[in-house]
Amino acid sequence: MNALRAAWLFALKDLRTEFRSGGRLVAMGAFVVLAAFLFAVSLDRTQVPGRSAAAGLLWIVILFAATTGAGRAFDAEDEDGAFRHVLVSPVPRGAVFAGKTAANWVLASIATVLAFFAVTAFLGVRTAGPLAWHGAVLLPGTIGLAAVGTFFGRVSSHSGLGDSLLPVLSFPLLVPVVFFGSTASARVFLGRPWSEIAGPARLLWAFALGALAAGAVLFRHTADE
Amino acid sequence: MTLEGRGLVCRYGPTRALDGVDVSVRGGETLAVFGPNGAGKTTLLKVLGGERTPDRGRVLFGGAPVPGAGREWRAQSGLVSHRTGLYPRLTVLENLRFFAGLRGLAPDRRSLAEALSRVGAAETAHRQVRLLSRGQRQRVALARLLLHDPRAVFLDEPFTGLDPTGVAALDAALRELASQGRVVVLTTHDVVRGLALAERFVVLRNGRAALAGVADPERADRVLASFGAAADARVAA
Repeated sequence: MNALRAAWLFALKDLRTEFRSGGRLVAMGAFVVLAAFLFAVSLDRTQVPGRSAAAGLLWIVILFAATTGAGRAFDAEDEDGAFRHVLVSPVPRGAVFAGKTAANWVLASIATVLAFFAVTAFLGVRTAGPLAWHGAVLLPGTIGLAAVGTFFGRVSSHSGLGDSLLPVLSFPLLVPVVFFGSTASARVFLGRPWSEIAGPARLLWAFALGALAAGAVLFRHTADE
Repeated sequence: MTLEGRGLVCRYGPTRALDGVDVSVRGGETLAVFGPNGAGKTTLLKVLGGERTPDRGRVLFGGAPVPGAGREWRAQSGLVSHRTGLYPRLTVLENLRFFAGLRGLAPDRRSLAEALSRVGAAETAHRQVRLLSRGQRQRVALARLLLHDPRAVFLDEPFTGLDPTGVAALDAALRELASQGRVVVLTTHDVVRGLALAERFVVLRNGRAALAGVADPERADRVLASFGAAADARVAA
């Protein structure tokens, strides 16, 4: 069994299922818009300039939206016992993790784009740095979020505690993503040179690759009996 | 080829789901596994099918050890359970292609149609699974099994929730699977049906083999009685 092909099959299956039902996307989209709006109206703009707050709010909204999506990533697997039939096939467990992470990343990316425009619109902020640099920061950040969310999404769905366990397990691990992500994004918003952004962006890549590798290796312990 | 489990022990925490179980089933034979809820039937199926590694004991196929939860063995075995294991939002063909793909197969439209025809579900090919009846779903699950031509087939309460037509269709399919030389292991609460389908049976109680022998539907009461106190009422009724 080719692991890459299995991962591709899984990602395709997850996205097809998601775009047909739309449940997760709608939940994530609604959450992003509402959270961005609530954060924006709760800020005292006379004390905190929007541009200073934008990066932090953006990453918090993305974190919550990605967690909301990851928490439901295994709903379809458990709906009629499909995951047991996946596990009795000879598919490598790492490939299952990679495929599900890829699908979660696509959904998290859609939520991220929406979050970016919602946060900047509600705060009335314009980015001084180029949009592509925001993309260069958000890309590794969302990969890290998707990898951690997928792994602990499986752990929490398997535990019987459901979605409530997911943030408890994943948020402590995601502190570096939020810290380095908001640092780098703030610098892009303020129009700082790339040399000041490259450092935290590289750390986000290191986190993303580490999370992918660890998840691929450890996922079988959450899947197999 | 004979599938054997020797001295199988499985624990879930302090509970012994299997406590030294020995079973054996030859190719072309069906073994029915009975027992009250929590007796260890599904665990035995998982161990024999490579889903779970036993804490002690060995599984052998054709005399050779089957590595616990090994990919090679899973590639040769197939599962049908009371939960059909299909994705409701995908069509039948999408489901079959997905699961075949996980086994490294890329069946063309003709072989998919043929598998569906063999189980009497050809007309469901383009429908989403969530729109199918329970019986139709179970037929699709059987078609999925046929795609990779397994040497051993494990059925976990496959009759649950089926109407009489569905039961008859599944009956016929199981007989065909065994007649083609496959090892078939079946768990069911329907003792009479299980004894009619199988050549051999084993009754599990508290993780141990309480009774085993040649299957004979005339002896259903004795089998039920061996379930223990929980079954006494059913036998009396």
